Amino acid sequence: MTDKNNKIPFDEDNYTHNINRNNERKLDRRGFMKTLVGAAGVFAVSSLPWGAVAAKELVGLGDKKYPKQKIVDVKAIPVGDAVDFHFPGEHDSAILIRLSENKYVAYQNACTHLRCPVFWQKEEGDLLCPCHHGKFDVETGAPTAGPPRRPLPEIYLKVENDTVYAVGVKRYEA
Amino acid sequence: MKRSYLPVALLLAVLMLNIIVTQYMVHQYFYQNYVSTIVAGIMNLILFPLAFLIYKKGVNVND
Ligand code: FES
Repeated sequence: MTDKNNKIPFDEDNYTHNINRNNERKLDRRGFMKTLVGAAGVFAVSSLPWGAVAAKELVGLGDKKYPKQKIVDVKAIPVGDAVDFHFPGEHDSAILIRLSENKYVAYQNACTHLRCPVFWQKEEGDLLCPCHHGKFDVETGAPTAGPPRRPLPEIYLKVENDTVYAVGVKRYEA
Repeated sequence: MKRSYLPVALLLAVLMLNIIVTQYMVHQYFYQNYVSTIVAGIMNLILFPLAFLIYKKGVNVND
């Protein structure tokens, strides 16, 4: 027995290992290190937009002005019910819950895990995210179960002339 | 011909740091700690030349 078929590359006169793919067997130590450096590069490049947006927020920080926005008439929302709305932007979905006669709470309802919409569960008295069963405390927006770790951003409300208005978004304490 | 796997280990450590820093950055962004976001971003940027240096030093050894 010779070990001619154990040579790399194989000799041409064999009929079983005759497919030549480009760069087959090329992930040696050096190739692997190149891949790792490339990965570091991808990470570096992908941090740029985050830095840019953060810098933008930082510069234009000084108390953002929110438009006062009507959500619903008090008559239209019975105690224990919830309505969805959008605040402050068109794409920032939010939820308003009437907890009692005079107590309203509102949160931006994109789950803080992976941004699924959070729903109000009247019977359980919980805010539930259906995606991975995250739960939030309805009084504070703090996560109580499941994957989310960050509270829902609270929306400041004002009740005037039997109408509920959204007036601002609470900042996290830095 | 003795090749060193130390640079490989170092690069893997860099990759691990990349992952940690990136996750930290994204979380800090959503927590509205924008300064921490930027610091983490800069960390990620510094890690790339570092990885490149490790590679440069590492390939010249052998192989
Ligand atoms: S997206 Fe809400 S729990 Fe995962």
